[in-house]
Amino acid sequence: MCSSSVSEFSPSTSSAMGLPREFHENCRKSLEQNFLKTFYQWAKDAALSVTNKIIASHSSVPEVKVCNATLRLMYQILNWEFRYSKGGGTRASINVFSDGIRVDNALARKTECVIVQPGASWCDVLLSSSHVGWLINLYSSVRQKFDLEGYWLDCPVAVSARKLIVQLCSLAGEIFPSNNAQMREQHLLLLLSGVLPWIDPPDVISKEIEEGKSGSEMIDGCRALLSIGTVTTPVVFDQLLRSLRPFGTLTLLSMLMGEVVKVLMANSTDEETWSYEARDILLDTWTTLLASMDGSGGNAWLPPEGMHAAASLFSLIVESELKVASASATTEDDADCLASVSAMDERLGSYALIARAAVDATIPFLAKLFSDRVARLHQGRGTVDPTETLEEVYSLLLIIGHVLADEGEGETALVPDAVQSHFVDFVEANNHPVVVLSSSIIKFAEQCLDAEMRSSIFSPRLMEAVIWFLARWSFTYLMLVEDCNLGSNQLQSLPSRACLFTFFNEHNQGKFVLDIIVRISLTSLMSFPGEKDLQELTCFQLLHALVRRRNICFHLLSLDSWRNLANAFANDKSLFLLNSVSQRSLAQTLVLSAYGMQSSDASNQYVKDLMAHMTSSLVDLTNNSDLKNLAQQPDIIMLVSCVLERLRGAASATEPRTQRAVYEMGLSVMNPVLRLLEVYKHESAVIYLLLKFVVDWVDGQLSYLEAHETAVVINFCMSLLQIYSSHNIGKISLSLSSTLLNEAKTEKYKDLRALLQLLSHLCSKDMVDFSSDSIETQSTNISQVVYFGLHIITPLITLELLKYPKLCFDYFSLISHMLEVYPETLAQLNNDAFSHVLTTVDFGLHQQDVDIVTMCLRALKALASYHYKEKNAGNLGLGSHAAGHTDPNGVFHEGILSRFLRTLLHFLLFEDYSTDLVSTAADALFPLILCEPNLYQGLGNELIEKQANPNFKTRLANALQVLTTSNQLSSSLDRLNYQRFRKNLNNFLVEVRGFLKTR
Amino acid sequence: MSDDEHHFESSESGASKTYPQQAGNIRKGGHIVIKGRPCKVVEVSTSKTGKHGHAKCHFVAIDIFNAKKLEDIVPSSHNCDVPHVNRVDYQLIDISEDGFVSLLTDSGGTKDDLKLPTDDALAAQMRSGFEEGKDVVVSVMSSMGEEQICAVKEVGGGK
Repeated sequence: MCSSSVSEFSPSTSSAMGLPREFHENCRKSLEQNFLKTFYQWAKDAALSVTNKIIASHSSVPEVKVCNATLRLMYQILNWEFRYSKGGGTRASINVFSDGIRVDNALARKTECVIVQPGASWCDVLLSSSHVGWLINLYSSVRQKFDLEGYWLDCPVAVSARKLIVQLCSLAGEIFPSNNAQMREQHLLLLLSGVLPWIDPPDVISKEIEEGKSGSEMIDGCRALLSIGTVTTPVVFDQLLRSLRPFGTLTLLSMLMGEVVKVLMANSTDEETWSYEARDILLDTWTTLLASMDGSGGNAWLPPEGMHAAASLFSLIVESELKVASASATTEDDADCLASVSAMDERLGSYALIARAAVDATIPFLAKLFSDRVARLHQGRGTVDPTETLEEVYSLLLIIGHVLADEGEGETALVPDAVQSHFVDFVEANNHPVVVLSSSIIKFAEQCLDAEMRSSIFSPRLMEAVIWFLARWSFTYLMLVEDCNLGSNQLQSLPSRACLFTFFNEHNQGKFVLDIIVRISLTSLMSFPGEKDLQELTCFQLLHALVRRRNICFHLLSLDSWRNLANAFANDKSLFLLNSVSQRSLAQTLVLSAYGMQSSDASNQYVKDLMAHMTSSLVDLTNNSDLKNLAQQPDIIMLVSCVLERLRGAASATEPRTQRAVYEMGLSVMNPVLRLLEVYKHESAVIYLLLKFVVDWVDGQLSYLEAHETAVVINFCMSLLQIYSSHNIGKISLSLSSTLLNEAKTEKYKDLRALLQLLSHLCSKDMVDFSSDSIETQSTNISQVVYFGLHIITPLITLELLKYPKLCFDYFSLISHMLEVYPETLAQLNNDAFSHVLTTVDFGLHQQDVDIVTMCLRALKALASYHYKEKNAGNLGLGSHAAGHTDPNGVFHEGILSRFLRTLLHFLLFEDYSTDLVSTAADALFPLILCEPNLYQGLGNELIEKQANPNFKTRLANALQVLTTSNQLSSSLDRLNYQRFRKNLNNFLVEVRGFLKTR
Repeated sequence: MSDDEHHFESSESGASKTYPQQAGNIRKGGHIVIKGRPCKVVEVSTSKTGKHGHAKCHFVAIDIFNAKKLEDIVPSSHNCDVPHVNRVDYQLIDISEDGFVSLLTDSGGTKDDLKLPTDDALAAQMRSGFEEGKDVVVSVMSSMGEEQICAVKEVGGGK
């Protein structure tokens, strides 16, 4: 009975009974504060009373069921989301806006571990009354008794007892008095001693499980370790076991995981067995323990014994990974490389943490393994099938990459603290283990430049790993800028560290290594035809990462190998065979590298030389008299697509230094682009490329352009829009197959999205403008252009299309921007276009996405406040659109503002939304109310009438009154008033939503 | 019925109407010849021949004329045939009783060898546009010796 009432009172699990939210919240609060503990007490007493009977009896007795039920209840109670006991209960207000979604602050991990945080008042029940001791005794004595009967481990009472024990392990928060660390340790120690028989000694237990014993107890043991690891630091964690065993907990953890890994190695079936689950939980335990240490500046080392444990575990792990690799080497692998790399990523990341906990041992170990495997490759060359060794080298490269360097996505990658702070004995760079390991890998990679070696050893898959490693490694170690990649901690002075850093810098080996890397990249692009994954990896990860670092650009441009790459790009046919995204990325990379030129002129010239070939080929093609027929040839289509991708890549690399050259590049292909748009009207793939190129080019250029240049660009965009729409409005395509029809729809969607982006970019000229003269001098009215554009494309946008989230986002950001900046032009739109725009806004208001709703609300605010201000100034404002009209049949259609007022009020009062929306909604509601005061009154009265409960009736009436009058709210639309109204609306909603919204 | 005749033609003159292109470069949305038929690619996936082998492309494509689904696997560094697909716009002059249409060519002549499309919506659109006296422009797609009306557009006028 108690159990069901607990679940009923928790808002997220309560049944719908049509009562206001406020009621639910009050129930929840009173239950938590007044009853939960009592329930728990009852459960405990009930369980206590049957304990002796259970322990004494020899067969199952009805009391077991009672015991099981009470254990389950206790478990459920502890799962309660304790709120009011935290932090002195200051959070008295109720979240009225949406159903409470539980915010788990536990890190995103595979195995769930919820921290139990009841308040201090629970101390007496859970801690001081030897509750834990009783529970553990109960479990262990019953366990002993049924020791021979294997089924017992899985019977309900055992399962719930273990669950409760695991849960108690994660007890944390104010329940422990802050001045009493000992109490907490006592508590954990007690639990650990109870859990110990489940997992110790690991080898015996794993053997028993393999022989048929149930693995659930052992897995719960692992969970308990995870829970303890979550609430303690590594040192405390390790210390816990010392009073019970001659070794620390970390050693136990390592032994335990070692056993699990061994079992995994022994039966490499794909079946999900207990060992998989145990491995994931234990790996999470390591991650939890070590991640907390990793960020603390490298000073917190594990105790030596723990380090030893980590090292031996890591070598076991690597051994097992390699074994898996060689075993799977010959199996067909359908998933593409990138996917499988990222799937392994997480696991390898955890392994790397373990390795870094003991770098002194693990890095030399990895170096030895690597050179072993490479030697084996060379020995067997030409005689033995290398596949298994190749796969081992592949795995090793991935593991080493993870150990040596972090991913550093989007930020400067730091050399891992562990690598910085260890190896204090090495002052000679050539002996530094990290240098040794890195050099041996680079030396190995360099061999791919040799054609013979390439064909015998460097398979595409191995090359992928090589490129991946080089990208990751160079990002962290190559040509570091002092103080930037190093982080600033007290480790600066270590000589071993200094020698690691200077070894790969520009004065030492850095330039040499950079040259090798560029040559390897060129090889992977030219000599592995059709290997799409490899080439994408090379372009996106490796080369792109290099040019993002300015200091490296300077060196790149001085390298012959880089010049070769640029030359091959401009002239060599074989690079035209690259995949299109790689083409784009390569163009972008090369243009970005122009930054390394001495002067801005030189940079511009560099870009010009690079792209001249492409632009002239487009111009030549479009000047051909037989263009119409020529253009349809597949090889020409291919050429055009390629060139367009490259132009787009170059355009997206616009930087102040190269802006001129990129502008001229675009200018020279303007006419060809329009010609091609005409010629390829049926070749949607080419059209899309054309549009995307223009979008990226306009985006990069617009803010730099002078007024006359802007006018040129805008006229160009207008013609583009006109040609596009003339081909696409009113066209019906035939397709016998629904797949092709869907394809056609998707293509259209992508085109439209590109056009919307183009318009948004055009808008931005008004916002960001670096040109010297103001735009007005040339009398180009951007708003006119964009509205014209909107006119052209709104007929193409349907509500159906708006269901694509990205298109929807682009569309509404354009609309809300337009309405905020140029509301007057909306009023000038013709009736159809106007109502179409507003239908879409209405549609947008009912979207789930917060961003989209926000944008619609902003659009509404702009619309209403424009109308209100214009009216007050004696102008028309939105005129007939706002006033409403009577259609020929005599039916009155209310104006758009009234319609939106209605919708918005309903939305605010009755629907679920995020709190973030309230202030934006207030900004929209306020001018709407001012525009339509009468309707607002009416709606308010209607609401009050509907309330059956007289108490609620008066509360609602008061709240409505306060909403529009308190805080000296006046009827002018200035910042102060908006602020006041926001506050009012917030209070209003807190007051009334509680009882208006029912469930 | 008429499909078979076209097929015969295409095998004669098909060879010169295709171009070689590296398989790795044929993308979704592009064209490809599979089993002698011009197709539009709707799905490309790559895999390797064994873990350390070379990449190969798996194409799923749809015949542009009869909408049949075809598949092919080609090593990605090898060449595939890509059909030359041409689309020409004509103005519609007449729809005859037996379902043939009469089209106006650029040079001022007429082209009378095409039937109304089998797709009902498209045929209806053509008929209604024609009967209302609007200017109807149809796109004719041709490839490897086959031809078909594939799109229609009203450019106003009429009434």
